[in-house]
Amino acid sequence: MTRSRGAAPGATDAADSAPRRPSLRLLAVGAGGGAAALQSVRQWAAETGAAFEYTPDLPSAARRLAAGACDVVLLVLGDRADEELAWWADAVRGAPQSPRLIACVQHASMGLVLRAEKLGIVDLLSLPVSRDALTRALERLRAATGETGIPLPAADPTATGQYALVGQSSAMLEVYKLLARVAPSAATVLIQGESGTGKEVVARAIHQQGPRAGSAFVAVNCAAIPENLLESELFGHEKGAFTGAVTRKPGRFELAVGGTLFLDEVADMSLALQAKILRAVQEREIERVGGGETIPVDVRLIAATNRNLRDAIAAQRFREDLYYRLAVVTIELPRLRERGDDLLLLAAHFVHQFNQRYAKSIGAISDRALDVLRQHDWIGNVRELRNVIERAVIVATDATLRVEHLPEELRGEEAALPGAAPGGLMTLAEAEARHITRVLAHTSGQISAAAELLGIHRNTLTRKIREYGL
Amino acid sequence: MKVEQALELLPDLEALAPLRALLFSISRTDDRGMWASAGPYLTVGKRDVSPAELRRQLNRAVRVVTDHVQKLFTLYVDALEHQEAGDSRAAVTALLAAGRLEERLGRLRQAESWCAVALGIAAGLQDRRPEVEALSALGRLCLSLGRYEDSARNYQRALALAEAEFDQAGAIAACLGLGAVALERGEWTGVQAWYNRGLRQAEAASDGGMLGRIHHSLGELARRRGDATAASEHLRQARERLEAAGDEQEVARVLNTQGQVDAALGRGAAATAAYREGLAWARRAERDHGLEVTIRLNLSHQHIDSGQFLEAEEEIRRTEQVAIGASLTGRLVQIYTLFGRLRGRQGEDTGFVFFEQALELARQLQCAPLVLAQVFYEYGVFKEALGQAEEARAYLERARELLEATGGHAELERVKAELERLTA
Repeated sequence: MTRSRGAAPGATDAADSAPRRPSLRLLAVGAGGGAAALQSVRQWAAETGAAFEYTPDLPSAARRLAAGACDVVLLVLGDRADEELAWWADAVRGAPQSPRLIACVQHASMGLVLRAEKLGIVDLLSLPVSRDALTRALERLRAATGETGIPLPAADPTATGQYALVGQSSAMLEVYKLLARVAPSAATVLIQGESGTGKEVVARAIHQQGPRAGSAFVAVNCAAIPENLLESELFGHEKGAFTGAVTRKPGRFELAVGGTLFLDEVADMSLALQAKILRAVQEREIERVGGGETIPVDVRLIAATNRNLRDAIAAQRFREDLYYRLAVVTIELPRLRERGDDLLLLAAHFVHQFNQRYAKSIGAISDRALDVLRQHDWIGNVRELRNVIERAVIVATDATLRVEHLPEELRGEEAALPGAAPGGLMTLAEAEARHITRVLAHTSGQISAAAELLGIHRNTLTRKIREYGL
Repeated sequence: MKVEQALELLPDLEALAPLRALLFSISRTDDRGMWASAGPYLTVGKRDVSPAELRRQLNRAVRVVTDHVQKLFTLYVDALEHQEAGDSRAAVTALLAAGRLEERLGRLRQAESWCAVALGIAAGLQDRRPEVEALSALGRLCLSLGRYEDSARNYQRALALAEAEFDQAGAIAACLGLGAVALERGEWTGVQAWYNRGLRQAEAASDGGMLGRIHHSLGELARRRGDATAASEHLRQARERLEAAGDEQEVARVLNTQGQVDAALGRGAAATAAYREGLAWARRAERDHGLEVTIRLNLSHQHIDSGQFLEAEEEIRRTEQVAIGASLTGRLVQIYTLFGRLRGRQGEDTGFVFFEQALELARQLQCAPLVLAQVFYEYGVFKEALGQAEEARAYLERARELLEATGGHAELERVKAELERLTA
């Protein structure tokens, strides 16, 4: 929701002529010769009921931002528009009241438009700025005042703590059933699912509902730990076994004796280490690095991965014999996009959790914000949702989560919601540019891989990237 | 392929340093990687690198290296020609310029070699100003390398010569250098004396920019001594003079120090505002990535200290991106140390991966002992917070050994205090 405030005395030439509309405080920054471009804007802003302040100077703009003196920053981009946009998106992120950005540029490439959208810029206007374009952009900001709050469902009282299982979708019910069957046994379990789907949460649930619940649950993230340290982390080391082995240290296998050892991202281990894990699983004993003593280890093993292990076996990056040892029971976790209304339940759960942490009392989410959440792709699944809600709870000042509380990347997606784009439907070129951008993001910018996914020749893709300025 | 796997194939040779820097700068991580459970522990070693991309970028990297070598060779030939023509002063200038080129790339030991050769020639000249310049350059380099005694010796000689020659600029630079050495050693009275001496000379010369810099240094001294009032007053004067002199980068540095003063007083919002304005000034000046990294690191510190872990995480990731993009590999040591500190505050024991990465980078890049000592200190504090007292003590002892060897007294006191606390 766009905040409604009075104009700062002395700092603006606000128009008092439009009392029906909420007053926006507009800070125009015309560094680099942008002053002329903004002369008319002063007048139009006043006509639309926005308070206007101009600064030609970047440091003083930073001071005004720090003072929370504006709701919208209107900036004129120079030659390095890309870099400037990123800088401003960063600057407003840290500023009180999270002001929104409207950028003006001489020549906007398709790439710049898409990047602006990704950064959550409200609008990218062409210079010279027209009255219509400015009015439309300001109206878009004001439109947010129409958001309606939807009460959040009550949090499930049994779902407490950081590792609660939340959700009632059919996909999750299948997971719960399998979990209930496997937990009481001693079977090794392999949990598969995309990043952020909750593999560790499920592993903890299996441990807590199993016979070893009274003992330790020890988690190791195999992808996080440097290859040269992973062996000593898992099996421990004797003092002086290698540079940096400053003390004798038990490994995670030893720490988990009697309990559960959770090997997360197990596919990221080297083949050499996989062989050692296999030996530990088969023989139920380990040796510390630099030690000769054999140590018996009685642990329940749960492994997880976000990769397709069968593909990894085919590519000879994962041992088949270890796979069969780990995948006695396999649990597949659904993506957040496949979990329907679990999104709302999860959002409510996280709001409840962060209300407590940050002493807030948020009880509703606006319809618009919920639409944005439903529209989002959630490549980071529940972990990403948790992060988004935490950030939103931190910045929210009243009892309803609104679009303005969401991160810039999501706010940028608001433009794609029905009824949000003032220009109407997008052109074929825009749609193509958007799709190429998404695929490039998916392939981390690797052009060959993106071309393969798109089904076009590398040279064609390179030409389109140049053409659209991506 | 991961960077850590790619590095296994790269011998630890000085000549390959630009290739290593290229490997880091083209490494990437995708959005999925960031959201994986290992995402919060991602370091440069775990980023992806594509051999095909590396091959595509090779020419660019080779060109940068060739340009640098060509400039060095040209300066050497210039020096040779000047020497042959009997113009030793010009020869010294060329050799010092070569040293500055190396210094700008962070090749401090190589820079030192050039300056040492320059000093050898300068010492034989009747005009002592080139010798003052060479000695000041060596003083600065030794200070950056953490060799405080060598640094002080060079600056002392520079000062004596400059005063004898009525070289005011040289004398002021030497006073500032001596103050900076004393500052690192925690010799507060000495610092004050050197800066005051520099201040008097700068006032006599009516050099506004230099006065601004000295007030900044005095502000930094007051900050370290915990005198916030004096610090703020010096910083105000520094800013006034530097803004008038149009020295935008130095204004950014002053604001960075002001942010630290505010942070120490618990004025979080004011500190954040000062850092943000500092970034704006730094952006207005010619882009200095090193300065940007410094300010962002302090901003991240501020977020950690005020318990704003999400903000801290985002800011450190941005800082990492700036450092990797600008090939400031050495700064990654500080960045990962800070990341480790953040994870420690969050009680996450897997945070040790950041300290290990920092130590690995410090080893590869042959970082100064002071830098290494800071990593060991923070690693010790991290282990202590996790209740691993024996390991904590081992790391703190290592930090103490390094600091005792280099003479970094201010840091040493901090380490000793931590060790005493651990014993108690």
